[in-house]
Amino acid sequence: MEKILNQEKLREWVDMLDDCEVYAPAFADSVWNYARVEAGTDIDLSHTNTIGSVKEFVFPQREVFFRFEKKDGVPVLTATLPDPKPTVVFGVRPCDGRGMPRNDTVFNKEFEDPYYWARRDKLTLVGLACNQPHSPNCFCQSVGGSPHSEDGLDILMTDLGDRFHVKGITVKGVEAMERGRDAFGAVRDGDQAETEKVHDTSRSHPQRPLGNLDAIPEAIRESFDSPLWADMAQHCIGCGICTFLCPTCHCFDINDEVISPTTGEGERVRTWDNCQFPDFTMHTSGHNPRADLGSRLRQRVSHKFLYFVENHKTQQCTGCGRCITECPVGIDIVAVLERVSQS
Amino acid sequence: MTDNIYLPKIGRIVGIDEETQGARAIKTFKVEFPNDDGFEHDCGQCAMLSMFGKGESMISIASSPLVKEYKQFSIMKMGRVTSAFHAAKIGDFIGIRGPYGNQFPLDDWKGRDLVFIGGGVGLAPIWPVIQTAVARREDFGKITVFYGARSSSDIMYETDFEKLKASAEVQLSVDAPEEDWQGYTGFVPANLMDKAPSPDNAIAITCGPPIMIKFVIQNLQALGFADEQIYTTIENKMKCGVGKCGRCNVGKDYVCVKGPVYSWSELRSLPQEY
Ligand SMILES: Cc1cc2nc3c(=O)[nH]c(=O)nc-3n(C[C@H](O)[C@H](O)[C@H](O)COP(=O)(O)OP(=O)(O)OC[C@H]3O[C@@H](n4cnc5c(N)ncnc54)[C@H](O)[C@@H]3O)c2cc1C
Ligand code: SF4
Ligand code: SF4
Ligand code: FES
Repeated sequence: MEKILNQEKLREWVDMLDDCEVYAPAFADSVWNYARVEAGTDIDLSHTNTIGSVKEFVFPQREVFFRFEKKDGVPVLTATLPDPKPTVVFGVRPCDGRGMPRNDTVFNKEFEDPYYWARRDKLTLVGLACNQPHSPNCFCQSVGGSPHSEDGLDILMTDLGDRFHVKGITVKGVEAMERGRDAFGAVRDGDQAETEKVHDTSRSHPQRPLGNLDAIPEAIRESFDSPLWADMAQHCIGCGICTFLCPTCHCFDINDEVISPTTGEGERVRTWDNCQFPDFTMHTSGHNPRADLGSRLRQRVSHKFLYFVENHKTQQCTGCGRCITECPVGIDIVAVLERVSQS
Repeated sequence: MTDNIYLPKIGRIVGIDEETQGARAIKTFKVEFPNDDGFEHDCGQCAMLSMFGKGESMISIASSPLVKEYKQFSIMKMGRVTSAFHAAKIGDFIGIRGPYGNQFPLDDWKGRDLVFIGGGVGLAPIWPVIQTAVARREDFGKITVFYGARSSSDIMYETDFEKLKASAEVQLSVDAPEEDWQGYTGFVPANLMDKAPSPDNAIAITCGPPIMIKFVIQNLQALGFADEQIYTTIENKMKCGVGKCGRCNVGKDYVCVKGPVYSWSELRSLPQEY
């Protein structure tokens, strides 16, 4: 389904999604991030990209698996599976959209993650094509994407200045568009051509180049024992920002939080974790298979550009550039891959 | 209702054996499922055991799959969860989810000699294989079990070892000299070289501390065992047990799902990170 939406009608469409929780990018504390849209308020789609990615909607930073307590000495467990309202997220950049099918494969497969899917099944992603790469660190095209990729999105909007071209991609997307039927107009002569022109222009903007993508896995494999990794990780402070903000990083920890030591009541909680932390792999005995920063940088990059490719035939990176822009010491995954490829 | 992969079943401790004493004591727990919702397992598989309020730990299922009434776990006191187990009493309740991981391909080994080499609490993961092989004695050739502990008081499953001698050759060792010790004195890899089992038509299965496994494999190779004849397990840190938390990654494998059992020929092709 393809429609035209005048810019001033956006609010009308959003208001008609009143049985859903609607989120859109908002500028606060000097960053763009997703925020809840209250009924009747405008949404602003002039954002570059949000600091956090849409993975937070399906895989929150902290979530409770179940509560435990003791009744007559016997543990009683109550699963706290989420039961969210249908949720619509506006302004999702195509790189983040492409992260979602990658996360789906991890939380699916042999063991299906019911917490992830409870949220995922209710989530509609309204993408916004990039009219130009929004950061000097964008490299979506180098990893098989594009500034108007539809992969993982339910709807793709393209900004044509005074109006949006809106394309429903999935059943969920078409439904969300039908809900706002009155706000939309038909696609007229020239709209299609203009949309394509915006896409073409955006694609022709230079992005960070990545060299030969197909040769990267082998280059990483061959550099496993190279001193290069330690050298490149020299400045890393192991803060984990690169993985927390990444739309495809999914590693987590599980811990018990005791609410009352007397009644034995508490919660089992999942929280984000990441391979850049030293104790991520450290055994209680003190043995640590990845004890140094170099081996941990190697793991992050290998997981994304070698192991995930071996398992799923695609990179676990969509070129959003966040890990480059937000790393406090300037560790740059594109530069890392370049050096590994050239070594 | 679909299964919630993170929600443990409830088990009850029905037996506790003190195997060894000291700072890193080992106790063996027999666990039953009071709600009749137990599960079947294969040799080599493990389970995530919970002490509610402390957390979860991955522990090998140390009883043979042929034993249906209970599951047995031998746990070394290391940290939070394992200490809580050591403080537990008969009748206490625990959480269990599993079984997780792959299995030793026992059926593929029919007609062959089996050489088991264990060290410390590393005997636990291979104990169900030994028990099952002995129960199916006519399926296999000669069975030899090497086991080494720091001292004679650190030997696990002592009474079971006595029984085992009826159907298998048992080679025990202690690390340091002791008066009245009848077995070998020295590390397990050295005892292995001393007895030099033949690699002809044999399979070697080893588990123990990483450093022991490393030397055992070197020595097995020196004895002429091919990579395909050597099996071991990897003990990486684990949290989810279901291939999602990313912690146990070795190369493209999530060890909790693809492992923990590997032949040396498979393991050699993975990055050396364990
Ligand atoms: C496949 C497999 C089988 C195992 N079988 C046994 C067994 O039969 N008997 C036994 O005594 N131990 C076994 N272990 C080791 C056991 O899981 C750890 O010693 C235990 O988790 C330590 O937990 P803790 O809470 O006491 O330590 P803490 O330091 O308080 O907690 C650390 C947490 O990190 C993780 N962790 C730390 N060290 C390890 C480790 N070496 N392996 C895995 N996870 C770790 C656990 O999730 C643990 O809950 C096995 C480990 C694996 C991976
Ligand atoms: S953001 Fe930069 S400094 Fe922080 S862990 Fe990642 S690479 Fe290291
Ligand atoms: S690895 Fe970096 S560039 Fe790639 S998707 Fe993650 S944050 Fe974006
Ligand atoms: S323990 Fe979580 S992926 Fe293996």
